[in-house]
Amino acid sequence: MLFQWGMSRQKKRMDVKQEGPDHSGEASDVPQEPLSAELAVNIDIIRQKTGESNDVVIRRFALGQEWQIKAAIIFVDGLVDEKNVYEFVLTPLLQASFPLALEEKERFQWIEKKLAAVGGVKHISDWRKLFFELFSGATVMLIDGVPFAISASTKGGEYRSIEEPQTQIAVRGPREGFTESLRTNTAMIRRRIRNPNLWLETMQIGTVTQTDVAIMYIKGIANNEIIEEVKARLRRIDIDGVLESGYIEQLIEDQTFTTFPTTYHTERPDIVAANLLEGRVAVFVEGTPFVLVAPALFIQFFQAVEDYYARFDISTALRFLRVLIFFISLVAPAIYIAATTFHQEMIPTQLVIAIAAQREAVPFPGFVEALVMEVTFEILREAGVRLPRAVGQAVSIVGALVIGQAAVEAGFVSSAMVIVVSITAIASFATPSFAIAISARLIRFGLMFLAAMFGFYGIMMGILVMTIHLCSLRSFGVPYMSPLAPFIPTNMGDTLFRLPTWMFRERPRLINQKNIVRQSGDQKPEPPAPSRQEKGGGS
Amino acid sequence: MIGEMGSAQTDKGGEIQLERIKINARQMFVLIVLFEHGSAIVIPLGTSAKQDVWIAILLGLALGLLVFSVYGRLFRYYPDQPLIVYMQRIVGAPLGKLLGIVYVTYFLYIAARVLRDFGELLLTFAYPETPLFVLNAIMALVVMYGAYKGLEVLARTGELFLTLLYVLALSGFVLVLVSGIVDLSQLQPVLEEGWNRVWKTVFTETLYVPFGEMIVFTMLFPYTNNPAKVNRAAIAGMVFTGVNLAVIAAINMAVLGPDAASRSAFPLLDTIRRVQVAHFFERLDVFFMIALIIGGFFKISIFFYAGLVGAAHLFGISRHQRIVYPLGLLVLLLSVAIASNYAEHIYEGLKIVTFYLHIPLQIIIPVLLLVIAAIRRRFGQSTK
Repeated sequence: MLFQWGMSRQKKRMDVKQEGPDHSGEASDVPQEPLSAELAVNIDIIRQKTGESNDVVIRRFALGQEWQIKAAIIFVDGLVDEKNVYEFVLTPLLQASFPLALEEKERFQWIEKKLAAVGGVKHISDWRKLFFELFSGATVMLIDGVPFAISASTKGGEYRSIEEPQTQIAVRGPREGFTESLRTNTAMIRRRIRNPNLWLETMQIGTVTQTDVAIMYIKGIANNEIIEEVKARLRRIDIDGVLESGYIEQLIEDQTFTTFPTTYHTERPDIVAANLLEGRVAVFVEGTPFVLVAPALFIQFFQAVEDYYARFDISTALRFLRVLIFFISLVAPAIYIAATTFHQEMIPTQLVIAIAAQREAVPFPGFVEALVMEVTFEILREAGVRLPRAVGQAVSIVGALVIGQAAVEAGFVSSAMVIVVSITAIASFATPSFAIAISARLIRFGLMFLAAMFGFYGIMMGILVMTIHLCSLRSFGVPYMSPLAPFIPTNMGDTLFRLPTWMFRERPRLINQKNIVRQSGDQKPEPPAPSRQEKGGGS
Repeated sequence: MIGEMGSAQTDKGGEIQLERIKINARQMFVLIVLFEHGSAIVIPLGTSAKQDVWIAILLGLALGLLVFSVYGRLFRYYPDQPLIVYMQRIVGAPLGKLLGIVYVTYFLYIAARVLRDFGELLLTFAYPETPLFVLNAIMALVVMYGAYKGLEVLARTGELFLTLLYVLALSGFVLVLVSGIVDLSQLQPVLEEGWNRVWKTVFTETLYVPFGEMIVFTMLFPYTNNPAKVNRAAIAGMVFTGVNLAVIAAINMAVLGPDAASRSAFPLLDTIRRVQVAHFFERLDVFFMIALIIGGFFKISIFFYAGLVGAAHLFGISRHQRIVYPLGLLVLLLSVAIASNYAEHIYEGLKIVTFYLHIPLQIIIPVLLLVIAAIRRRFGQSTK
């Protein structure tokens, strides 16, 4: 594939002109030259540049009372709404009576007037712009004798329709999720935040793919420094293609060498809207339903969207549960290893005897036993994720039988170990954010190793290093562990705790500094004051 | 916030500006609390005063505050410089540099001593088979990592771990009370042998460790963003710690009795081991271990970091990160080499270090510095 692409590029380059090596196919192939005045020449160039790809449709026709003016429209099949092209571009031109004596310039204006029915009419004078418009879904019109082209926006084509998001499922909350279309996605946010201060800036990233990337924020709430930082980092990107927001994420994050995510990504428009209201910046990428939100804080990955829709006491309890879950998925096997190898005195006597009896038949030390089970489980999980659904079921049956029963019966592992691995696995599924669960998965193996070497001392040291690392991270300049460390008392209401909604008076301090207050302070709901009649009471 | 992002180091007009970071007064308080608790909660602190240990600790605190007022005044004179820099301005460059080297050595040596304490504790109570060097090396590596990341990160880590430590301490406290092993009559008679024994303990132990060790913070105070609040944060931290330590020591005494407590190598561990509640909460050694690791880590880190910053200032190194590795290695090797066994280590600590290091460096020199600085100030003002 790569080879072919290289070949064709070389061929084209020889045809057009000679250039030095350049990693951007676009820049070397499409010169920033003005269009020719002759229609035939222009069409030839388009044919040549696109390699006569047959999805580039070129329709020639003639205008005027005596059909004396030759013209052509060009569009890419599948990117445009063909009905629009014929109904609003071609038909008005063909049906209109073309005045005979018209200068070149006037012809142009006349055509533009006729195209009023479609939006986004632009003049194009160079090739680069022409191709960009063409592949963005516009219809380009060329007229003989005019060194300009006119493009009209006729975007269309098939997209996945709005569906319920596959990740971040909520019992209560909106059911719609982002799609692959950037415009649909931004519209979903517009619908939620109907305010002119919701600003959107679009740029093209990817020298070959020219992918649309949009930044959205609420002017006046978002911190200008963070907006500028995001923009500057986006502008710095020089890559051939952007196919998913993950590319952007990895190119703009503060630190690469960390297992923790320093930007947040989501499929849910309500989460993006909530984050914009807190002063964060969202980055949309054409072609993916995952929208990036920055800056991201560690605690954010333990907050599910439903926390804000459910009652506060329940949400708070669930958040504590999630942190517990995170720790279980992080240290459960390590604690098992440490307790069975180093600190048997810590386990109640009966349990120690039971575990010892089980381990009697196991030929491996605790660490090897745990490692084998954990790796096996990771293999099963990876198989389950990637395989087609029909086969996936077979995998889970094999996994359950092999791990659950056969391994214990065969004496490879003890059943206590199976319990530990299962708890760990379930815990790692229960973490609300996949991004943070997966980093726990990785660190777990390091902690298991430390536990095997040094028992609890090793685990504690591992956690200490992890905490130092977490505290040293920043996301777009904001300390990752805030508002826990640095401790910001006024923002503690929305961390592990989730205070009642009427108490959320302030936006996160480190994310925005100016426009802090988000609601008035006296909104505590109260039962209506008893009326006099009732007070007088009694009949 | 963005402005002070990152710990970029720059040379500002010739004067070395290490780590352009600022921590707030609350973070300073947290660091002081963790530092002061450090090893003091796990080692037998002032147990030679028997049942009056809590009085000895509180008196140590009171005198410690007095000593600290000297450091506080010095800091008020030079609010944007660490001890090692303003020392040179007070007594002149050559003598100041010499004293600076003495202080850097002192900080690093105490870091090594605490590391040794820590390793020995782990060795005796949990890892009899593991070589001391390996245990110390793991801790030294983590300390080096923390120091490499800088004071700001240490302070944030401290905020998280103080919460953990406090949750553990409170639950441990409740468990000790609930298990009914506290016998307050063990604390009586108060002042059985008069004040002498108490004062002796104060002047040989509790004044210097942990309260006199506050000298190390004279290296860190310039990194706070609100110098006006620093002294208050430090005093609050010391008082808070002193009261905590006195309570812990009194409980240890009440649980174990004066004889067992004063002979025990780790009174707190022995106390925790006696906890038995509902046939489930027993053998809570892990509580002790977590406290030991957190306290040890912060105490070693702060001494080490002060040594690093001091050395960087003295030798004109623009990034303290550059000397983390060599000095860390030095501290690690020193921790193993300073004594051939634990008894020797303890003997050195109680008899030699106290008189030849703590008293001169924690008390005599700072007081002299303050006197000279005050005279110079007055003299300078009068000539102008």
